[in-house]
Amino acid sequence: MTMAEDPAASPPAGSSLEFKAALLLVLLALLLGASVVYLMYARGAFEETQRLVLIADDSEGVLVGMDMTFSGFPIGRVGRIELADDGSVRILIDVPRKDVHRLRTSSVFTLTRGLVGGTYLRAYSGIPADPPLPADAERRVLVGDATAEIPQLVGETRELVRNLAALTAPDSALATSLGNLQRVTERLQGPRGALGVLFGNEADARKLIAALDRGNALLARADSFAAKVDTAVFGANGMAPEARAAVLQLNAALADARSALKQVGTLLEQAQAVARNAEVATADLGVLRAEVEASLRKVGGMIDEIDRRWPFAREPELRLP
Amino acid sequence: MSALLSSPGALAEMGRASLRWLAGWWRIVHFGAVILVLALSPSSYDRGQRPALARQIYLGTAPILLWFTVLSSLISLVVIRIVVVTALSYGLSKYALEMVVRVLVLELIPLTSAIFVALRCAIPNAAEVYDLRAQGGFAALTRAGVDPLRREVLPRVVAGMFSVLLLVAVACVVTLLLAYLSVHGFTTAGFAGYTRTVGRVFGPGVALIFVLKTFFLALAVGLIPIATVLFEGARTQLRLSAELQGLVRLFTVVLLIEAASLIGNYY
Repeated sequence: MTMAEDPAASPPAGSSLEFKAALLLVLLALLLGASVVYLMYARGAFEETQRLVLIADDSEGVLVGMDMTFSGFPIGRVGRIELADDGSVRILIDVPRKDVHRLRTSSVFTLTRGLVGGTYLRAYSGIPADPPLPADAERRVLVGDATAEIPQLVGETRELVRNLAALTAPDSALATSLGNLQRVTERLQGPRGALGVLFGNEADARKLIAALDRGNALLARADSFAAKVDTAVFGANGMAPEARAAVLQLNAALADARSALKQVGTLLEQAQAVARNAEVATADLGVLRAEVEASLRKVGGMIDEIDRRWPFAREPELRLP
Repeated sequence: MSALLSSPGALAEMGRASLRWLAGWWRIVHFGAVILVLALSPSSYDRGQRPALARQIYLGTAPILLWFTVLSSLISLVVIRIVVVTALSYGLSKYALEMVVRVLVLELIPLTSAIFVALRCAIPNAAEVYDLRAQGGFAALTRAGVDPLRREVLPRVVAGMFSVLLLVAVACVVTLLLAYLSVHGFTTAGFAGYTRTVGRVFGPGVALIFVLKTFFLALAVGLIPIATVLFEGARTQLRLSAELQGLVRLFTVVLLIEAASLIGNYY
């Protein structure tokens, strides 16, 4: 006897069982239908969209279905990715009509790839007053790739490490300098200390010390000499008091000189008066002189006349050879 | 010397075992094709067949539906909590929902549903078929002019398949609801973002693989245990019982289907 034929094991047979089985079938159909509709809604199948084309050099990290965000909110979805004839990548984005107004002609689109996490497509609209983005607009996407800098960084780091290795090598200049410094330190701790380091040998250091000693002795002698000079100059019988007395005498002499000069001034005034008289006399002398000159010219003329008449008169002409 | 002599015998035995193994699989495939043809024939659903079909569907699904829903909800809650808290602690909370949907809905729920139905419904059904055949029920039906495949086997295969499909559907919907409530709480504010995340996970390729995987899991669960007892059960010399053999074959196929879906989704 099968279970189908066993009345004890069977649930209520007939239409009730069929109804319950039908309920289960309906439940499955409902669940499947609702799931399909929900997934289609989630995939944006019922949304009216506008196409936007972003052009990039590299589509790495960009996936069909990924979101494009605006201020952190998804406003578009990558629908397709195409390779253009010129080698660039065309990322076709479906933007729902209700979100299109956020995109303007001046909007900027970026594609950023982080070290951790996925790739992000972002839109920025700086000037909300600009005209809205037209359908099928093509825009260049700006790529900000944190990992793009890594190869360069690694190269530079490698160079830096190589330089460091060269610096710290046993035969490097730095190691040699450090060795020299160590030797200098050891000599600094030696008997002659820094002097030995400065002169490089013991004898010269000793000479300097001897010179210093002699300098000290010289200074002591200069000190005693200065004391003697002090006594000689500023002592009771020194030069300074005598100089002071001399200055006083000089002052008295200057006073005498001042009075003498006043007398000279008086004399000069008198001399001026004499000179004025002499000037008047000189004017008279001019007339007298003119007369004397006239007399002399006449005498001269007479002498010339006598010369001409005189037989031994000299020949006045000059003869050219 | 004896080893040398026995070596060709061992090879021959191995060859015979391989052939038997291949023949067993071939019989399962052939049986599956026959059952599918019967399942797609309208005459299998005529008035005479409906009570048996309704009975198997009801018995195969109703008793385990509530339990499985409760159990899967509990496990889902634990997994959702672990994933969300871990993602939050690493600062990756934006990926938590996507991971929950991928791990639970795409991978775990179909697999657990298939195993649950196999243990609670398909294996007992196979045992019933084995008993029926052993007690001469098939011969009696044949004598009465009724095709035992159509009357006794097809309803059980369809019931197993239906049970897997319904359990997957219910558990997926419940898990999606629980994931939403765990992350956003009792508010509709996060519905748009959540829907977008679900939509991002269920791309056309992933959705197709999910549907195919669930269908083939259901087919395997419905078919393999019964096919195994039908074709292997008569051999008394086998060490393993027919039910256990069916279970091993079923787990092998489930594993292959799961591996194929993983390769399709992530490679």
